[in-house]
Amino acid sequence: MIKFIAKRLGSGLVVLFVVSALTFTLLYTSSGSIARNILGDQATPEQVAFKEQELGLDQPLATRYFAWLGDSLSGNLGASWFTSEPVANSLATRIPVTMTMVFTAMILIAICAALIGVAAAVKRGWVDRVVQVGAIVGDSIPGYVIGVLLVTLLAIQLGLFPATSTISPGVGPEAWVYSMTLPVIALLINGVTGGAQQIRSAVIKQLERDYVRTLRSRGIGEREILFKHVLRSAAPAGLTVLSLQLIGMLGGVVIIEQIFALPGMGPLAVTATGQSDLPVVMGVVMYTVVVVIVVNLLVDILNGWLNPKVRVS
Amino acid sequence: MKLGPKAAAAALVLSASLALTACGGGAGAGSNAGASPTSLTLGTLRDITSWDPAQAHVGHALQPYQAAYDTLILREPDGKLSPMLATAWKYNDTNTKLTLDLRTDVTFSDGAKFDAEAAKANMDHFKKANGPQMAQLASVQDVAVVDADTIDINLATPDPALEYFLSQAAGLMGSPQSLGTDAIKTVPVGSGPYVMDKAASVKDSQTVFTAREGYWNKDLQKYQKLTLKILTDPTARTNALVSGQIDATLLDPKNGKQAEGAKMKLETNQVDWSGLLLLDRDGTSNPALANLKVRQAINHAFDRKTILDQVMLGQGTPTSQPFGKDSGAWTEELENYYSYDPAKAKQLLKESGFEGNVTLDVPTLPGGETLISVLQQQLADVGITLKPGAAITNTFTADVAAQKYHALFYNLFQGEPTVAIDQIVSTKALYNPFKNTTPELEAKIQAVRTGGEEAGKLAQDVNKYVVEQAWFAPLFRVNQMYYHNDKVNVTPQIQQAVPSIYNYSPAK
Repeated sequence: MIKFIAKRLGSGLVVLFVVSALTFTLLYTSSGSIARNILGDQATPEQVAFKEQELGLDQPLATRYFAWLGDSLSGNLGASWFTSEPVANSLATRIPVTMTMVFTAMILIAICAALIGVAAAVKRGWVDRVVQVGAIVGDSIPGYVIGVLLVTLLAIQLGLFPATSTISPGVGPEAWVYSMTLPVIALLINGVTGGAQQIRSAVIKQLERDYVRTLRSRGIGEREILFKHVLRSAAPAGLTVLSLQLIGMLGGVVIIEQIFALPGMGPLAVTATGQSDLPVVMGVVMYTVVVVIVVNLLVDILNGWLNPKVRVS
Repeated sequence: MKLGPKAAAAALVLSASLALTACGGGAGAGSNAGASPTSLTLGTLRDITSWDPAQAHVGHALQPYQAAYDTLILREPDGKLSPMLATAWKYNDTNTKLTLDLRTDVTFSDGAKFDAEAAKANMDHFKKANGPQMAQLASVQDVAVVDADTIDINLATPDPALEYFLSQAAGLMGSPQSLGTDAIKTVPVGSGPYVMDKAASVKDSQTVFTAREGYWNKDLQKYQKLTLKILTDPTARTNALVSGQIDATLLDPKNGKQAEGAKMKLETNQVDWSGLLLLDRDGTSNPALANLKVRQAINHAFDRKTILDQVMLGQGTPTSQPFGKDSGAWTEELENYYSYDPAKAKQLLKESGFEGNVTLDVPTLPGGETLISVLQQQLADVGITLKPGAAITNTFTADVAAQKYHALFYNLFQGEPTVAIDQIVSTKALYNPFKNTTPELEAKIQAVRTGGEEAGKLAQDVNKYVVEQAWFAPLFRVNQMYYHNDKVNVTPQIQQAVPSIYNYSPAK
């Protein structure tokens, strides 16, 4: 198992390196005159030239990339060109907000989708039909629309939750819970409906297999068959779906954070990209890649643990 | 295996998330936006880039700096200039030396004293710090300390906008000890009415200020606590306002409806003009634009009132002139110089010899899509093709400077006459990238520059020239829609979308 993990970690690092080099090259060769953007409308050509020198933009691309890489390995991701704030600081204050939201949504999705999916697969009939219809409806409404509806109804009309974030340094856990409730609901609805549908299919597939019939013929109870055998076999499919949803959620969370003005990664990504604040954009990209690698690694490990055959392949 | 796989997976995810939640909950220390009876919370569009006063911007971007820094001159809501750190100022006969008398009872938040040396240090720093408004002191040759409370600002050329600039970015005074340090980029050190509460502030989320004890002018310090909540998304700003999380913010006509429904009060103020900039007047890349009749035809093609009603829900005033009503350069006769007259437009195109042969390529800026398609329709009606280009954002300014566009649709600030001239008319203006000019125009611009008190009136000639020559196709002046609740009184500020920080007071 250790060898398996080491192998996966190694390939993760290679991906990280390749993505960083590619992103750096693409960003730095296609972003126009950044110095002009920083200085604004009134800047003279001399000012622009001076700024370019200040930012090191007159250096060859490879020199700049390896300088960035060297600094990054020692934990220094550089500083924002627009605000001078160290990128590592920006990420450190924002990642907890985004990750709290994403992981809370993920746990709720896992629990709800599993309960609903298994219920639909086992009970079939009207329960199943409701889940099927729910999946189509849930999938077709974007998270941000749900977000806006929730704000209008629960925050503005009823005043139960704040319309925008009240999270700031030092606030107690209640502020977090209040600020996160609506965004998390907006994030998880698509996930629950989609996830339940996938888990339902995986469980039905297992229930139709020969070994289930054999177990039943031996007089083993339905409950034991479901929890001890069927769920374990259906788990890898469920895990993969959940991991894909988590990765997809990193995109959805950007819009949700904008709507609720949450100080997470979303607004940082949007502002930095709009301004071509390249050190920050690099930081955001690296964070995203790391999350994706870690999630995939966890899913691989869990699958490997559940099913030893995976480790060999 | 005793533990079911699902349970195991759930346990793992749960523990990971609990760990992260715990990290998140403990970030930083400080206090939440409390409900102090004299606190003011404003929704702002974006965070500032640096607290170094030399990196300050103008207009509505000036507001955060005003909390922490005083300016040499105070600009009243109606545009009148009043004493602030400078108690009096006077030009010499040739308008090349401005002498300022300074206060002597003011200190900065780090304890340093404000005096002539500090004022000089700030202006010297501003001139060399490569900030976005560095051009404000471009005409300044040097600053000389006369005595502890007097400075002379010596000019290379007369600059009628200098006093105005000293009420803006160039007039912000920071502690001389902190100028040029890294620390001042993230925490301001000024003599202003408020000091930043660093612990409670989060970059791009909110900046919290508390009233500075012993501030020299209590009239300008009306709140104990001031919070600037950064809300980029207009929907988020609207929601925050109607749910009572903020006291005032800038909205647009669409979101304004929701705020009105929630009984918010509206202050309108015209700051920008919207329209086409016909940049290539010498025909460098688009020969048709060199023809005056083509440019005039474009102006006659637009039904400004209808466009305004349809696209901006009527929030603005149709106009044919690019200079603002408060600038001194504005005249009534130019307001409707180009009436909606498609027949005349067609006739002019025929006379120009470019009939059926005029194409305008314009970039599409985010949010401008609807307007561009309306313009496209109205130009098509007279036989002009408008081709909207791909949406662009981050390279826009550089592309304009590089003469990439022969025409573009834009919203532009209507500032003081020389500011507007240097933004859209003179050969050093970014929005005159092809550097078009004539000796006649140069003479008119020069007259404004040396005109001193008469500058605004003299700028009327520049305005008349660019309107007659159809340098632009202005459509309307846009209403800035500033909404606030009934807990706060707000006075709009001339030429600013967002009022100055001094214009808010608790409602009685």
